[in-house]
Amino acid sequence: MAELQGLGAELSEAEKAGVQVVAVSPDPNERSHTMAKELHLGYRFLADRDLAVCRRYGLIHPRGGPNGEDVPRPATVVLDREGIVRWMSLSTNFQVRPDPGDVLRAVRALGA
Amino acid sequence: MRATPLAVVSLLLAVAAPVAYILLIRVPTVRNHPGAYVAAFAVALALAVLALVRGRGRRWPAWIALGVSALLLAGGTWFDLVVARVPMTPTVLRVGERPPDFTLPDAEGRPVSLAQFRGKPVVLVFYRGYW
Repeated sequence: MAELQGLGAELSEAEKAGVQVVAVSPDPNERSHTMAKELHLGYRFLADRDLAVCRRYGLIHPRGGPNGEDVPRPATVVLDREGIVRWMSLSTNFQVRPDPGDVLRAVRALGA
Repeated sequence: MRATPLAVVSLLLAVAAPVAYILLIRVPTVRNHPGAYVAAFAVALALAVLALVRGRGRRWPAWIALGVSALLLAGGTWFDLVVARVPMTPTVLRVGERPPDFTLPDAEGRPVSLAQFRGKPVVLVFYRGYW
């Protein structure tokens, strides 16, 4: 969720209303909900408990979790109104996430 | 040049770098440059070596600084380049293509599909839950 920080602050109210954030994780916890509320973004948290969707998308970091379990490869994808991928960022280092400014530019490029 | 003040600066730098990184993890510019704490450990190590080679007076603080900064440099480099590295895996996501649809339960257990958001730009985020 770190990648969304800064995005909420920079989008106008109208833009926030027009953009849907869909956050997929094996553990959509309370902290994420609190953060999203603070950002005032239209968001949905979806639980991919067995990582089936992450696996189908090829977004798995094998044995990357704290206990050696498979975890999602952090990824941020911007889809246009037709559901076509227009921009994406896949982490190659789990400390590094896309700059909110880059996500913002990708969203604005869609005329959101 | 006295050895002890140099050793103290080295120790402070070695300790302050990871603390600052963790405290400022929410600032994207800081978070996205983990190499900065590795560089700080390297500078701290150089200062400790300088204190040992060129410094006058007591030596034990410089030896402590050398040990701490060398350990942190080795550990930090290993964490940043090995532990934190996410292997490149083949993904079905392609710019210009529509990814496969999926349906997953939301926080209240209601099924939600990606396709139902057609008509709105979507920021789709895959994350780990704890980080």
